[in-house]
Amino acid sequence: MTGIIETEGVTKRFAGVPAVDGVSLSVSSGEIFGLLGPNAAGKSTMIRLLAGILNIDGGSARVLGHDLVIEREKIKSEIGYVAQSFALYPELTVAENLEFYSAIYTPISREKQQLLLKQFGLQRFAAQRAGLLSGGYKRRLSIACALAHDPQLIFLDEPTAGIDPVTRRELWERFYELAALGKTLFVTTHYMEEAERCNRLAFLHRGRVVAEGTLATIISSFTGHSVYSVASAHNAALAAGLLAMPEVLLLNQFGDRLRVITDSSLTPESLQRVVRRHCDAAIELVEPDIEDVFMALTHERGRK
Amino acid sequence: MRHVLALMKKEFLQLQRDPRLIGYIIMAPVVLLILFGLALKLEPENVKMAYVDRDQSMFSELIKTNIWNEGYFQLYEVADEAAIIRDIRDGRARAGLYIDGNFSAELTDNKQPTVHMYVDGTMPSLATAMDNKKAAITDDKVSSQMYFLEPDSENITIAPEPFLLDMQILFNPEKRETWFFLPGVIGVLIMQVALILTGTAIVREKENNTLEQLIVSPITRIEFILGKILPYVLIAFADFYFILALGWLLFDLPMPASHMSLFGLGLVYVSGLIALGLVISTLSQTQQQAIFLSIFVLIPSILLSGFIFPIEAMPTYIQPVAYLLPFTYFVEIIRGLLIKGSDLAVLVPAYAALAGFAAVFIAISIIRFRKTLG
Repeated sequence: MTGIIETEGVTKRFAGVPAVDGVSLSVSSGEIFGLLGPNAAGKSTMIRLLAGILNIDGGSARVLGHDLVIEREKIKSEIGYVAQSFALYPELTVAENLEFYSAIYTPISREKQQLLLKQFGLQRFAAQRAGLLSGGYKRRLSIACALAHDPQLIFLDEPTAGIDPVTRRELWERFYELAALGKTLFVTTHYMEEAERCNRLAFLHRGRVVAEGTLATIISSFTGHSVYSVASAHNAALAAGLLAMPEVLLLNQFGDRLRVITDSSLTPESLQRVVRRHCDAAIELVEPDIEDVFMALTHERGRK
Repeated sequence: MRHVLALMKKEFLQLQRDPRLIGYIIMAPVVLLILFGLALKLEPENVKMAYVDRDQSMFSELIKTNIWNEGYFQLYEVADEAAIIRDIRDGRARAGLYIDGNFSAELTDNKQPTVHMYVDGTMPSLATAMDNKKAAITDDKVSSQMYFLEPDSENITIAPEPFLLDMQILFNPEKRETWFFLPGVIGVLIMQVALILTGTAIVREKENNTLEQLIVSPITRIEFILGKILPYVLIAFADFYFILALGWLLFDLPMPASHMSLFGLGLVYVSGLIALGLVISTLSQTQQQAIFLSIFVLIPSILLSGFIFPIEAMPTYIQPVAYLLPFTYFVEIIRGLLIKGSDLAVLVPAYAALAGFAAVFIAISIIRFRKTLG
């Protein structure tokens, strides 16, 4: 396991306010690393720092074995970057966009370009203007363009945001294929289900890493909390009653089930008592899932 | 209606949050208004007139004084008639006056001597104005003074026109407005293309978010700048020759003897403007802002450069603005080259000024780029 990305206390401030605050990460070769966090957690800033778009204000980082600050030019040709927004030329056709992005690195043959278009299901749009593509296809084209120079490390900033589930699944298949070829993928997301697709994860909250590891280790390290499922549809009185308990951390409504994340000092009996006051719903102690952990971690920090 | 109001409110909020736009919307009109309000005077004033007075008499002095008192001319003496023509060609003077050595002798003999005036025909507005001024110089008030009382003589007959004024229009004798405007128009069009195209070309990358994609690529800053501006350098150059050719074909615009001097003009002018376009692009976040800034450069250039109104006719406190505009020097050079056939040596300072502007704009654009992409 060689560290493809190694960061140590990376910090970035905007107008004095830290957006990324002392982040230390380690990403290994061939893995899909997921950076999770709510909006404004600093995910995009982190990815843009690592891709060399922004300069780091503090700390140090090595990407592909090169110092991010001193050897930035050496890194550039080995990485691919897919921005959150579609970085395409709307006036150019799909094929022209790909050709341009391949041309600014090491140009690849027409055959390889065709192959890439085919892999991303774009071949029938090859002659169409990129600006006329739907969101899903624009995303496919953005990713294809970032892959044109066969990078070793690919940064994907929310690659599936606003994309339908079918396209999302197809894109993830491509990501797994790339990982299988030994490429490293660094992905930001705020979709919890996508977190489960990553090999390893880091939770970013207010610019700091609040948890890091595989899905299983992150969930298993989520100690000191209990998660209950209450069989109740939305009930404002119940919610108010529960939140009034000092041990209740937060609530999350899923249709006719309410997830209650509590301090583990809270007994099921006392929870049941409070629920009974409002309705006759059954409570059940459940295994925490990634979303519970995510909510609890970001919430806890928020309160302090 | 509520929706419209909500939209309007949102729009004003957006404007309010964009300090640059405030500058464009408020500052630009204020500055332009002041500049043009002060500078727009069609009547020529402070026109430099080179004179040779071979007569050196009371009468020739009277003529010069009358011309001074018209308030339009500033007279200065040169050595001979050839020097008058040379000064007008080289732009040191717009007009000339020549009074022959036997003027007073002929005048007293009632022989109707002739006073020669010259005017720069490349400025038809000036030539026309001079035509009108001519009468003022030879009118009755002047004529009535054109004798001296000889104590012995009882009766002096004064001719209705004691002397004649011969006005010669140099360089553009037909006072063709097209010849006056066309060389400048070439510059305006090039300016438009170079500024607006270059200005928006890079801003478009920002708007499409493609700039970021280029930053992560191995493309260097210099490659990026060159790759972005060279197309527009070529377009602007092609336009330069295209418009010149059109002027030649449609309006008989003369071509200069030296094609290198024309090429050199295109080179310093276009490169300066493209660099200015780059500076504009670094100051703008959207294409609208870039276009607005370009217009902010374009309009004073058109009005204050001597393209329409002679610079010397502008109030002295406005004149420095004219000399801060590259277009001023372009107009001077291209009129010199195409219409007056000026010596290249005379135009060297203007060429140097244009080259200086280009160097300054290129330096600023590189510094600005370091900041925005850094």
